[in-house]
Amino acid sequence: MSGAPLLEVIDLATHFHARAGVVKAVDGVSFSLARGEVMGLVGESGSGKSITGFSIIGLIDPPGRVEHGSIKLEGRELVGLPPAELRAIRGKSISMVFQDPMMTLNPMLTIGAQIGLALEAHETVSAAERRSRAIAALAQVRIPEPETKVDFYPHQFSGGMRQRVAIAIALLHRPKLIICDEPTTALDVSIQAEILAEMKELVAELGTALIWISHDLATVASIADHVCVMRYGKIVEAGPVLDVLTRPQHPYTQGLLDALPSRAKPGALLARGAGTDAAPPPRAAREEEARKSAAGVPYVVVDAVGKRFQRKSGVLRLLGQRLGIARPLPVVQAVDAVSLSLSRGEALGLVGESGSGKSTLGRMVAGIYAPDSGHVLLDGERVMSEGERAHKITTRIQTIFQDPFASLNPRMRIGDSIAEGPLAHDLVSRAEAGPYVAQWLAAVGLDPAFAGRYPHQFSGGQRQRVAIARALAMQPDVVVCDEPVASLDVSIQAQIINLLIRLRQELGLTLLFISHDLSVVRHLCDRVAIMHRGKIVESGPAGEVYENPRDAYTKRLLAAVPVLPVASP
Amino acid sequence: MSQISSAKPAPATPASTRQVSPAARFWAEFRESKVAVAALAVVVLMLGVAIFAPLVAPQNPYDLANLVLTDARRPPGYVGSGGYTHILGTDAQGRDLFSAILYGLRISLQMGLIAGSLAFVVGATLGVGAAYIGGRWEAFIMRVIDLQLAFPAILLALVLSALLGQGKAQLIAALAAAQYAYFARTAHGAASAERGKDYVEAVLSTPLPAWRVVLKHIFPNCLPPLIVVATVQVANAIALEATLSFLGVGLPVTEPSLGMLISNGFQYMLSGRYWISIYPGIALIMLIVAINLVGDRIRDQVNPRLKR
Amino acid sequence: MLVMSALVFVGVYAIGNPIDVLIGPDVSQDIRLETIARYGLDQPLWRQYFTFLGRILHGDFGRSFVFGMPVLDLILSRLPATLELTLAAVFGAALIGIPAGIYAGYRPDSFVAKAIMTISILGFSVPTFWIGLVLILTFAVELQWLPAGGRGATIAIFGVEWSFLTANGLSHLLLPAANLAFFKLALMTRLARAGTREAMLSDTVKFARAAGLSEWTVLRRHVLRLIAIPLVTVFGLEFASTLAFAVVTETIFSWPGIGKLIIDSITSLDRPVMVAYLMLVSFVFIMINFLVDLAYVGLDPRLRRAGSR
Repeated sequence: MSGAPLLEVIDLATHFHARAGVVKAVDGVSFSLARGEVMGLVGESGSGKSITGFSIIGLIDPPGRVEHGSIKLEGRELVGLPPAELRAIRGKSISMVFQDPMMTLNPMLTIGAQIGLALEAHETVSAAERRSRAIAALAQVRIPEPETKVDFYPHQFSGGMRQRVAIAIALLHRPKLIICDEPTTALDVSIQAEILAEMKELVAELGTALIWISHDLATVASIADHVCVMRYGKIVEAGPVLDVLTRPQHPYTQGLLDALPSRAKPGALLARGAGTDAAPPPRAAREEEARKSAAGVPYVVVDAVGKRFQRKSGVLRLLGQRLGIARPLPVVQAVDAVSLSLSRGEALGLVGESGSGKSTLGRMVAGIYAPDSGHVLLDGERVMSEGERAHKITTRIQTIFQDPFASLNPRMRIGDSIAEGPLAHDLVSRAEAGPYVAQWLAAVGLDPAFAGRYPHQFSGGQRQRVAIARALAMQPDVVVCDEPVASLDVSIQAQIINLLIRLRQELGLTLLFISHDLSVVRHLCDRVAIMHRGKIVESGPAGEVYENPRDAYTKRLLAAVPVLPVASP
Repeated sequence: MSQISSAKPAPATPASTRQVSPAARFWAEFRESKVAVAALAVVVLMLGVAIFAPLVAPQNPYDLANLVLTDARRPPGYVGSGGYTHILGTDAQGRDLFSAILYGLRISLQMGLIAGSLAFVVGATLGVGAAYIGGRWEAFIMRVIDLQLAFPAILLALVLSALLGQGKAQLIAALAAAQYAYFARTAHGAASAERGKDYVEAVLSTPLPAWRVVLKHIFPNCLPPLIVVATVQVANAIALEATLSFLGVGLPVTEPSLGMLISNGFQYMLSGRYWISIYPGIALIMLIVAINLVGDRIRDQVNPRLKR
Repeated sequence: MLVMSALVFVGVYAIGNPIDVLIGPDVSQDIRLETIARYGLDQPLWRQYFTFLGRILHGDFGRSFVFGMPVLDLILSRLPATLELTLAAVFGAALIGIPAGIYAGYRPDSFVAKAIMTISILGFSVPTFWIGLVLILTFAVELQWLPAGGRGATIAIFGVEWSFLTANGLSHLLLPAANLAFFKLALMTRLARAGTREAMLSDTVKFARAAGLSEWTVLRRHVLRLIAIPLVTVFGLEFASTLAFAVVTETIFSWPGIGKLIIDSITSLDRPVMVAYLMLVSFVFIMINFLVDLAYVGLDPRLRRAGSR
């Protein structure tokens, strides 16, 4: 085709003028895109990759603004275009798909109405034509029975279906360019694989150029021709996908690749996270009889544990929710008579997609939820008391949570958060509490002087270290880790994984590691159990399950994981 | 204060060496709205004036020896027989209106604060308690509160104060009874949300005793929305008390709040002696508006959905 | 409803002795006892309650101690006036408040938005009775444009008197309705603004903009639908509470509605009127809540599907 590129971005700078100063979210980015080309834009959080996308489509809200630079679509300058002309381009020539399909569609309008609104934004169509076009658009993104589905509301669709609807709206006017901002991050692995495959077909079919923004190198590798790696608002490396991923030139790209557990030998420290941390403080002298059980003998026993969340509804509940009094109904998410056992010092990975019941099971093992049936034993003793108002009675199992922003009390100094449990259980005296906390902070690689700070003064990775220190300061024998690295950037994730590997060895911990990420589990765990719809469908030594899955669901799950191209030696 | 404003935190570097408590951060953010700071200043000023009313007021309006009937209903600026100028005029009994307003402010604020605090304590205890206990008790308590919330506070306060009779304690009880439900609802909503958060589950998994989880973890994190409700409800209590006094079912005549001053002046209004009613009204409105402006700012600050 | 009736009944009857209000302390003991017996006040409380319940089922709320006429007739004769006032106030508030609020939420940093918000804070803060005073002082006393009180001429439709159909009645309605609407106006504005601000920052609106929808379409089709639910809720609840606030306005403007009636009966401890009034108000609340729930199911597709099962 013609020699001129479809999109040309030259020295683009988008800054946010916050009260604390100017944040240069995008700081001199240049790239170009040919017709029908698929480009991946990769970076960790805060790298400016999403802002770049929003700048191209002209949706930067104050206090942000495009400071300088040029964005040319087929030679036409977009920067500085009046709002009305920009609007005429949006949805028509350039369209966009967002991360969370739960939030992008209007819950109050039918799918058909929303597609209709998007149609009318650029065309005048009759009611009948609107409907038939909407049905055709749904059919195009492989939504079954589009004639009925067109009258559905978003809540009647699953996350993957909603994202397909969003893609259908984005493709409506056959735009020359689609920008997808982390479109599969909020979805499960198997849905992600489907969307990736479909998206690849669709853009090829329509000849649409695509910018795929993601933090995940593997998904980008499976869809893009070219890739740009962003960091601190700048592109540090760009080139064909294979070249960048197999022969990275920039140390940052190299570091990102090294941080991926899927590329390292299971159990080994990841290159990115190497650091020298102090040793944890010695355990308080507890009767050694309590820990006499030998290795290999079942140490933690989960016996036919079940949990059901009931839907409470009714007029009053409805009224209550409307007034903002009652909390939203919990999703019915059951654990169905699951039995498991862990031997002492073992690390068991519990893998499943969202809604599989893995977190609920983990919370029952940790003594946060009381099971409806069955029980959990540690060393032959019950974790929770029996009876109507069951509560946890052991301190030997502790928990590390997924979201380090939510798992620390925002109104407590972190030192107090760490010391609170040990003080309440006489593991340490009030006089020793200060040094004890300091030792733990050092052990998780934080400056002991941080004890007086509040959680908001830390980054996500640092907070997760604090949360680990708090759990371990209780001197547990077993630690339940519920997706402890899922909300962290790749390089931070590597550091936390390294910390867990090291502390587990030093303290002889038994781990129950819950994750949706198969590569992290593979790296950390000796055994895995795959959970699906409240049941464990397969379990066994990690290597065995990964190499020779027997269960059909496990096979599907493993096949769905996008794989990075590996450099030929 | 000054140290916070002088040091500009660099973006995205949380690990600064200062130990900024959430309260200090809150204040720094609050100060960005000049209107809110001015409103806070007005509230503090009026509070101070009310507390020290006997020292500030030119005349003790309830000292019968000071009352001269020929001075009654004089317009602002009138120089009375006592020798000093009544800057806001005098009321029907010949009292200096400015002094009467200061004393009235004192009573209004007292009523608002006591009733508000009482409602806060009762409501927050019920709300947080219900959210923590859960089950049937939660359902029962919240059902009663829902029922009451469907009923307008003014009507409840009206009927209650009519039934309980006149008097300070009775009125406070009526006001608190009419308002505690708002605190209970807010506290319950906030506590339910906090109850499900990871940090509460973390301390439950430690485990820590229940009272400690509620007092040290859940309750402090429910405070921001409760403070918003508290400011609004103190303002409401003051307005409600004034309304009740105006309707004649509030305080006894011996305790003239701002509402009663307005009510007393109402009958003279149609004859053009507007100041007897209007000036106490302006004082009342300044107070309520100022409190609401402060509350408004705090509300914007604690609304996480408006944070970008 | 039953619970409400018991609560109201016991609450009202537990305190205060109406006989002391009705008859002077100097009347003979005979007359006193006779009066007590006539009103059934010699019976134990629970019997009074059941007698009361039984009568209610026959539509009999008892006789007013003061007016000596059936309470139901008394209240029904006053109800239209209050209803008219309340409806005028609530609809007026919604028609002005919601568009103003949406605008203030759409352009939160504009001068107009800030002006709207300042006025709404005033409306939110200033006690209703004081605004009533100022309205009278300004429009009735100083400018003499509008009458200060009373209901004015009315026209009967189906036996019910309405004043909004005559120019004179309308002029009488205007000030009290404005007075009553002021607080609601502020509330509606603030609510619409808060909802719009949140909606404007949502992904839904961003996505609609990314699809090239015009700002007007985004506001009209997306934002309005997103904020409709809280608005309808508050509209319903506020209609009920406006009925209660009418007490104040009616007192100031001598509007002959039930609000004025209840104030009079409270000061004279006219129990049957109080009980009947509270029962009526509770009934209205329950009806409104029910209607709001229905409106909800109509508005929110997530509930509609759950409801049909």
